[in-house]
Amino acid sequence: MIKLIKKKILKFMDIVKGTLQAKSIEYVQVELRELENVFALILLGSFIGLPSPPTSISLRLLPYMARELLIMQSVSERLDDMLGEMAGLFEIT
Amino acid sequence: MNKEFKVYFFVGKGGVGKTTCAAAFAIGLADRGYRTLITSLDPAHNLGDVLDMKVGEEATRVLDNLYAIEVDFDKMIAKHLKELSDKIKDIYGYLRIFNLDRYVDTLRHSPGVEEYATLEKIIEIIKKNMKNKEYDVLVFDTPPTGLTIRIMALPTISLIWIKKLMELRLKILERRKAIERITGEKIKAFIAGKELELASIPEEDPIFKELKKMYSEINAINDLLINDKVTSVVMVVNPELLPVLEANRAYEFLKKLGIPVKSVIINKVIEIPSIPDELKVKIEMQNQAIRKVNELFRELTIIRIPFFSSEPRGVEDLRNISKYLEDLYKGL
Repeated sequence: MIKLIKKKILKFMDIVKGTLQAKSIEYVQVELRELENVFALILLGSFIGLPSPPTSISLRLLPYMARELLIMQSVSERLDDMLGEMAGLFEIT
Repeated sequence: MNKEFKVYFFVGKGGVGKTTCAAAFAIGLADRGYRTLITSLDPAHNLGDVLDMKVGEEATRVLDNLYAIEVDFDKMIAKHLKELSDKIKDIYGYLRIFNLDRYVDTLRHSPGVEEYATLEKIIEIIKKNMKNKEYDVLVFDTPPTGLTIRIMALPTISLIWIKKLMELRLKILERRKAIERITGEKIKAFIAGKELELASIPEEDPIFKELKKMYSEINAINDLLINDKVTSVVMVVNPELLPVLEANRAYEFLKKLGIPVKSVIINKVIEIPSIPDELKVKIEMQNQAIRKVNELFRELTIIRIPFFSSEPRGVEDLRNISKYLEDLYKGL
């Protein structure tokens, strides 16, 4: 019986830990995603009319930019909803 | 880096006589025993015309110690683009299936390609000389001022961009590390169906590593360009107000970049003992321009080359002009 209670408590603690962890990294994760998005935009922004670095810099980094490009794409797809996401992040209701 | 050799850039407005001055200087160097290479980077070549001989894309012998190159602009841009498009085609190789890879060739018309290709050519010649130590002096006859200062600004501009990108990249890596610390594991991402672990320290991040590599490559060139023991810029002007004012703008810009400008040549100065009435206004304007040169470039060595009744062509004529450049040789 005690074993079962102990197991349940541990499971509960795990859930609490997981929730706290998720909550604590939520902000950093969004910040990271936005930084990666900005990195891609700076490098390849000429596509949307932003001034960009000399072409050879962008081209030399291009082979390693797969993740940043995916992020840039997903952020641009959800641009209309970004305000909502920010409101959710900061718990503004 | 081998810093034993010297690099001279002759800069000025189109038509002021940069090529003539650069070629005369190079001949004087060769006569003094310096192994010299003169390279024309001006798309409107006239180095061969001035030397009165055929100058090719490979170093052509002019005198015992003097070799000349006229850079083939089309070939140079094509080579630069080939390197770029090969990289793109490597990444997007599948485009070959649709025969779409040839569209990549439109890169040729992108802004800035000419400047980059010219800079790469300068780097190629300098690097080759660092390795082979063939020449004591490299003389570059450059395109008209506007293009030249854009070329010379490229390393500085690239360094500013790379520095900023490195700062941003470090912030990204810091955030990744922070998440790793909390979760106790590497961040994973799915790219093209594969699960990858993302780098969180600069030494593991391929983007940061590439940025660092680029920084050190460009910095080495920039160090050379701003090293006044190696590089000298010689401004060439005519005794007219407009070329002088343009040279002054270029001088100020190059100074900001830290590129050492050391001398000004006033080329085609009309020197006649008795001035005919028809030329009096012209000579007064010339004197005004010379006064302006003395005022604007007082920190630099100012050299005067007279106007010759016939256009100087060929080694002997140029050797005659090189006698006026004595002050330039003192700087060697």
